[in-house]
Amino acid sequence: MSSNFNNKDLNIYVLIKQVPDTRSKAGVNADGTIDRAKAGKMLNPFDAFAMEAALNAKAMGGPNSRITAVTMGPPPAVDILYQALGHGIDNTCILSDRKLAASDTLATAYALSMTLKYLFKRDGNPDLVFCGLQTTDGDTAQVGPEICERLDLTQVTYVEDFKIENNIVHARKVIEGGAMEVEAQLPALLTVANSYKKLKFKTLRGAKFVQEVKRSEKLQKEFLEVVDLAQVGADDAQCGLAGSPTIVSMTWKIGTVGGNCKMHQGKSALELVSEVLSAESNLVKEFLKV
Amino acid sequence: MAGEVLIVAEQIHGVIAKVTLELLGEGRKLADKLGSPLSCFILGHNMDSQIQRVIEAGADKIYIADHPELAEYKTLPYRRVILDELDTWKTPPHTLLMGSTTTGRDLAPRIAAYFQTGLTADTIELDIGPYEHKAGTDKSKIGYFPECLYANRPSFGESLKARILGPWKDPQMATIRPGVFQLPAKVEKDQASVEIKKIAVNLKEEDFRVKIAKILREESTKVDISEADVIVAGGFGLGSQEGFKLLEELASCFNNAVVGASRKAVDVGWISYPYQVGQTGKTVRPKLYIACGISGALQHRVGMQKSDCIIAINKDPDAPIFSFATHGIVGDIYQVIPEMIKQVKALNRQTVSV
Repeated sequence: MSSNFNNKDLNIYVLIKQVPDTRSKAGVNADGTIDRAKAGKMLNPFDAFAMEAALNAKAMGGPNSRITAVTMGPPPAVDILYQALGHGIDNTCILSDRKLAASDTLATAYALSMTLKYLFKRDGNPDLVFCGLQTTDGDTAQVGPEICERLDLTQVTYVEDFKIENNIVHARKVIEGGAMEVEAQLPALLTVANSYKKLKFKTLRGAKFVQEVKRSEKLQKEFLEVVDLAQVGADDAQCGLAGSPTIVSMTWKIGTVGGNCKMHQGKSALELVSEVLSAESNLVKEFLKV
Repeated sequence: MAGEVLIVAEQIHGVIAKVTLELLGEGRKLADKLGSPLSCFILGHNMDSQIQRVIEAGADKIYIADHPELAEYKTLPYRRVILDELDTWKTPPHTLLMGSTTTGRDLAPRIAAYFQTGLTADTIELDIGPYEHKAGTDKSKIGYFPECLYANRPSFGESLKARILGPWKDPQMATIRPGVFQLPAKVEKDQASVEIKKIAVNLKEEDFRVKIAKILREESTKVDISEADVIVAGGFGLGSQEGFKLLEELASCFNNAVVGASRKAVDVGWISYPYQVGQTGKTVRPKLYIACGISGALQHRVGMQKSDCIIAINKDPDAPIFSFATHGIVGDIYQVIPEMIKQVKALNRQTVSV
């Protein structure tokens, strides 16, 4: 089936990140600040789309195509690598090092670029690197393009859909006021928008495999590589706080602007809605569709 | 003397984007504080007719690159032209600003990574001010910096605003969402007093690794929530994608009304990105904003707090949205919204019969 696309074996990478889980109230302080130690953790939602893209790309490649998921973070972040293995990602790698603390986007992109370079050198040149469009904790969308600049990969951001044919990526991407279809040469880095296909559920086989890996140190060595900055040959001065050109110089709480919210006290939905609509009857009538 | 304040313009079909004019307006204030010129890079093809608009928005210097290959934005050719030009400057720009659009977010990180400088995304306030770096692991960063670019943005999911700065290396960069700053008043200026310079365009073969096959602009322009009078917005509190059908039904009762969404609802895929309101979505100022199951985190609030009237419905009485909405209803969306649809439709019948 994959031969329909007429592609070579594709060497694919997907960059993923563990972020605080803000869907639950755990770790959210009364004043609205977040206690990161207490907050739950989850796979960055955008990265689920990137993972689905990587799996679909593999299906379009030659029979020996493979995917490596790469993350950077403290040791517990291996949770998302197990998740990746469960979804059928072939190999995983975590860059973990205390010196990475307080990295901004430039320092993060440097550390990830060095990790990718180390993997490329050992496992062969890349064809595709997928990233989520952005993370939900930083919201910058900068790391993907910054890696492109460092590794000179062809850059396509905001990808909504794509196929690979004759070793060319045909992608549809979001642009201002519309969409654009582009043809991009390999090797390419694609940042995947959340309008792409949703990540399919884990297979039973994948779930069983994760359990096996969790039980076996031997399998962990094979499928879950842990590296530090020295191993990937990164310069400490370009990492973490030292390698970050920006700092947060101060933060301040936002007071309650207005603070005049009229809290309605009606006993039922009917009463509550009728209180609000009568208080704003002029406004409501002005825009009412007749 | 501090370097120039540089705005990299964005254009669609040869027309300078509104966000560029907004940035020129704000950039003017920064340039005046620094005593530096306000500059603008215009890349495109046959863009001469746009020069006057950029001058009227306050630019002192205009750098223009004209080439057929620059007519539509493409990462590598734009990157090449901008970096080639900046590499010839003896003093780099002090500040470099771009819109936080699909274009700005694609290009600005390339420029930042090339110069290995800082870049603050989705900034909501800019200023120039001093900063003293007293201690730290890196001694080379210690010092007093009288003129830093202050870029303020909400910090992640929190009710905190953070000031981000990086005075150690110029250009100090930031991207800003469209609609965050006001359009500047027209500046009366003689075109002869403005320095206009042509930028050389020397593209290389490797700059053509991405080819445009097709541009589909009309089809998604239907959604522009920033122009709506009434927005019925849903958040994670809706609990499912189905909730948006209910919001659409309520929106359909009003003229010029659309549904909107918080980032969490977009992140989980219940609704697509063009509907997103907030720091990383659209900034809106409708007459009526109905927030359903939206907690009101700062990142959402900065995109809608200028709405004339905000009706908030949330089952959590402590939700931050109740600190700045006009009307608050503590209750279940699935009871309140159907009731609201019913009552609004009844109002409609009254209006018709009168």
